[in-house]
Amino acid sequence: MRWLGVSDARRWLIALAFFCSIATFVVPQLELSAKVYDLLAVIDLTGSMNVADYGDSNKPVSRLEASKAALRRLVTDLPCGSRLGLAIFTERRTFLLAAPMEVCANFAPLKRMIADIDWRMAWAGDSYITKGVHHAIAEAERLHANVLFLTDGQEAPPLHHSGMPPFEGEVGKVKGVLVGVGQYAKSPIPKFDRDGRRVGFYAVDDVPHENRHGLPPKDSMTRQGFHPRNAPWGGAAPAGDEHLSAVREKHLKAVGAQTGLGYVHLNSAASVRELLSAIGESAKARTVQTATDIRGWLAGAAILSLLGAFLLLPLFDGFARWRLKQRSIHQT
Amino acid sequence: MIFDVDHPEWLVLLVFAALPMITRGYRLQPYPALGQELADPLSRLLELGLRFAASFAIAALVLGLAGLHLEGGSIERTGEGAHIVILVDRSASMDNSFAGRPPSGEEESKSATARRLLSAFVETRQHDHFGIAAFSTSPIHVLPLTAEKDAVLAAIEAIDRPGLAFTDVGRGLAMAVGMHNADTTPAPRAILLVSDGAAVIDRKVQDQLRKALARQPVNLYWLFLRTQGSKGIFYQPKPDEVDSPERLPERHLHKLFQTLGVPYRAFQAENPQAIADAIREIDKLERRLIRYTEEIQQTDLSALAYLLASVALLALVAAKMLEAPALVADRSSVRALHWSEGRQS
Repeated sequence: MRWLGVSDARRWLIALAFFCSIATFVVPQLELSAKVYDLLAVIDLTGSMNVADYGDSNKPVSRLEASKAALRRLVTDLPCGSRLGLAIFTERRTFLLAAPMEVCANFAPLKRMIADIDWRMAWAGDSYITKGVHHAIAEAERLHANVLFLTDGQEAPPLHHSGMPPFEGEVGKVKGVLVGVGQYAKSPIPKFDRDGRRVGFYAVDDVPHENRHGLPPKDSMTRQGFHPRNAPWGGAAPAGDEHLSAVREKHLKAVGAQTGLGYVHLNSAASVRELLSAIGESAKARTVQTATDIRGWLAGAAILSLLGAFLLLPLFDGFARWRLKQRSIHQT
Repeated sequence: MIFDVDHPEWLVLLVFAALPMITRGYRLQPYPALGQELADPLSRLLELGLRFAASFAIAALVLGLAGLHLEGGSIERTGEGAHIVILVDRSASMDNSFAGRPPSGEEESKSATARRLLSAFVETRQHDHFGIAAFSTSPIHVLPLTAEKDAVLAAIEAIDRPGLAFTDVGRGLAMAVGMHNADTTPAPRAILLVSDGAAVIDRKVQDQLRKALARQPVNLYWLFLRTQGSKGIFYQPKPDEVDSPERLPERHLHKLFQTLGVPYRAFQAENPQAIADAIREIDKLERRLIRYTEEIQQTDLSALAYLLASVALLALVAAKMLEAPALVADRSSVRALHWSEGRQS
């Protein structure tokens, strides 16, 4: 009597299916740990972000719109449990719109909030990016979040010859990513009037090309037309192309090195994958335990076992019998 | 009662439920000539039952895998509440205490008090939708009207962060009305303006406001956080005093609000307690009839599917246990069996 014998695979397969099916009640969930991120996304709203150098020539997309599109994609692609806060940047500081909130539960309002961000919310025309990043880091520290700062890196007025303002925080305490927005080729910056109508582009003479606050650099006396009292910065008007704008990658990387943030370039409005991997590299992750429903896997195993019993084995048998039959025909 | 599945692509596997009807779930036994016996009705019934059980088990497992559920929905109910846009002053003076200086020790800044009490207010309101707008040097659109409490609270959490320089209340108000316009569900509407100062509103903006409010009637509440030394909303100028909007912006903004043609209440609060009282009063006033939709959770039926599959499988396992064991299990007898079968056919 071998009723438990291995010879009958069907018995085992059906028993396995039964146990898998029962197991959906015993262990419906498994606790798995997942990495999630808390981010404070800061969007630069200054003038150069209106440059439309994304998209194609038929449908140009401004840097601001590209940043918003990337953020909206990020809301979709961040793992549940991650939290996202929103802030805007102009002048030298970030203005917090909303503290970080969970991305999946607040999916709809987050997307609508991002869609409603507009350059008209900017309250000043200046763009002291380095100071803005420092301030964003302080805000993010208070909110226990990582910084995700989207900017083209163009300081307006240009950085002083003495270099970047010193960073007063602790390097590396707050982590995060600077996202370089804009193409590498220079483009003119659109100009708007008081009511928000577009009135052409900034010309060479519209913007300062040198930051002449404070003391002139030591070598200014070699400049043409230098006079210690009347023309300490030299006699000639500063030349430059600050009225054109491209992503200032070198500067952003320098700011990143100064503050301990990573850097990534936003290649296209849809390139959220690079963004996510940069976040994975440079941001602080939080590990959460999530209960994952594994009943589907168990049911799948049960179905496979039953397929084995009712499809594979009968096919096997049929094949074996067919071969025997062939052989017996040949024998007789 | 609408049935639905989460992953319809798995339903393809339902074709396999037909398998047990076609193939044999048991092994052929090498009894000689049993095939010549006529099957009795009981045996036939038993066989059919077992085939059916196997089919049923596969179908139920597939339905479970696909995530069978009863569709949730929403029902419209009536309750008390309103759609409220909270318009917050984020000018730098909001970061001072009621005494007009940076908060020290026990003191709380005006914005921190407002944040604390507004959060509590939002949490107690069951059926309200909230939108948040901020204004300072420019109006800032924060959160469109939404029922998601988490998002509203996150936006309110931001209001005690350091603000900007000025108070552009006129354009802020226009933005708040615009947010009501953008919200299409019919509901009683209100704007709650929280500020510690006022400003002269441009004639042009005044006209825009009047027009917008004529189209979109809202209840307007002004919660004015009066700092020590400020003249306040209800100040009556002395006869020899210049009564101009530049000199007395609060008084004149109040007068403007009274002429907007919408229900308007002003609250002047000099301390946290007064703010709490004002908010309680607003809470009482904004209990208007509102239609709201209540979401009905979908009912998961996959557990039921797995249970039924288990029962069917239990029957199969039992049948397997009762199955007569293979009398002889060596190859030669199997060969003999197949040979005899081959002969019969």
